[in-house]
This record gives sequence, structure tokens and C-alpha cells, in this order.
Amino acid sequence: MATTTATITLASSDIADNAIQISNTSTLYTAGTDTGISETTGLGRKKFASSSNIVLLDGGLTSGIAADVTADKSAKVYIKNMNDRGDGTKYVNILLAAVEIGRLYGGDWMFIPWCAASGKDIEFTASDTTETTLEYTCFYE
Amino acid sequence: MATTTATITLSSTDLLSDNMQLSNTMTLYKDGTTATGLEQLNYHRAVVPTGTQFDLIQDSAALSEDASYVYICLKNTDVTDYVKISINTEEIGRLYAGDWLFMPWDNDLTDTEDAQSAQGNDSSIEIEAFTHDAVVEYMLFHNGETLLTADDVA
Repeated sequence: MATTTATITLASSDIADNAIQISNTSTLYTAGTDTGISETTGLGRKKFASSSNIVLLDGGLTSGIAADVTADKSAKVYIKNMNDRGDGTKYVNILLAAVEIGRLYGGDWMFIPWCAASGKDIEFTASDTTETTLEYTCFYE
Repeated sequence: MATTTATITLSSTDLLSDNMQLSNTMTLYKDGTTATGLEQLNYHRAVVPTGTQFDLIQDSAALSEDASYVYICLKNTDVTDYVKISINTEEIGRLYAGDWLFMPWDNDLTDTEDAQSAQGNDSSIEIEAFTHDAVVEYMLFHNGETLLTADDVA
């Protein structure tokens, strides 16, 4: 088995009266076990210049690289909008199927579990047709 | 303005044939700004009973079309414990013991809920615990919520 860890640190010295620093490390295990996740799609990078809805990760595929990511287990997805922040008005909407999760502005990243069942695609829609670059990876069992 | 950063590090020495280490830091800015940080946060710790889906983070009109960020961590230690995180009818995924998530959040759906009820479609972040009650810590960084007007009954 492999040992893969994900660490987050949230820090601010001035959002409250006292500084905050929250840090957590999780080891990516298969569902309900302490056996490490051993598969990944690898780190991908995609450029696009469209404001149409695009599928980034296709849940429940029957073939292809992500074909094994078919069940509601313990898959984790990382996505980063590689663009510069610019004027702060350009972003990528991240959706799960048809439901919007939230906006990744230039430089933003997210790390979420992924249900990955059939039809539970992770999709994105850019706020305009400016060329946007996303980096992403999925860890799964 | 405040300066709040979120840093992620993904690492493994044996998942691939060579070491993997990926690290990124972002600053939590307000929508439509180049360098104005979010100034408000909610930080909670709660015990979520099994058997019912709850609204963990309630949407509000002021959170619509804006930049908000959510952090949720399941503090349980039994590896069989997990929670399902959902928005509206869509399950995002499962957090097992020790897992965390960090994601942007936009109140995108028309809220049909009554302020005193969880009925109806909305963008609230929902949670359901499985196996055992779930101890969760969660944070919302945001640009302002719509506070409910006090409505006590004498």
C-alpha cells in the first residue's frame, strides 16, 4: 500500500483579535480501512477558452483512465485555477453534476472528496472565454 | 482587510515510482477585488448524530454570487466512521475519519427554504453521519451573511 498525505494550513494574523492557525494532515485511505489509497489519475493540466460547461472528471465511466473511479468510496480530488487573479472578476464555476459548488478565482485551489458514482461528474464553467488553465488530480481506490 | 491564507501539501514517497510533492498557497480574497481579503469567518465544532441529514452551513442571500470558502474536518478516529457531504440533491463525497475538505462555496440556487425550516431546495452544505456520531470542525470564510431579524414570541 502507499502512504499519501494531504495537509492543510489555514492561517491569519488579523482576521480576528487573535491569530488563527489551523493545520490538519489526513492520510488517504481506502473506504473504511487504514489501507492507503494506491491509485491516481496523475496530475493533469487542461487549457480551455470557452464559457461552456465542460466535464473535468467523468463519474461512473465504463472505460478509460477514470473507469475505476465508479463508486461512492473515498476518492479525493484536487483542482487549482492556474490563472493569475487579474482584476478579481474572472473565475471558474465548479459544479457537481448540475449543482454549482463554488468559484475558483485565479490562484485558488480546492480539495474535496468525490462521490464519483454514475452521473456525478465534476464539471466547470468559466466566467468568460479568457484562456484558463486548470491543474487537477484524483486519488481513488 | 485581513490576510488569510490556505496552504495545501499533497505528498507521497511510494504512490508513484518517484516522490510526489505538491504544495500551493492561496489568499482568500473578496469577489471582484485584486487584493482585498475576506474579513469574516465562522468557526464551529459540532457532534452530528447518525441517521439524519442536517444543514451544516446554512445559505443566505448575502452569500450569493460571491467568494466564500469552506473547511470541514471529521475528527473521529474509527476508520469506519464517515460523513456524506452534499449540496442540494448532489452528494459531493465522503469524509472518513481524519479527512478534511476545503472548497469554494457559492449560494447559487434559489432558496425556497423558510428561515425556520430545512425544507426546500437551496445551496446549504449538508451532512449525514454514518456508523457513529460524527465530531466535525468546520469553518466558513465569507463576505457577510444575511442575519435573521429577531422574532421572539412573548
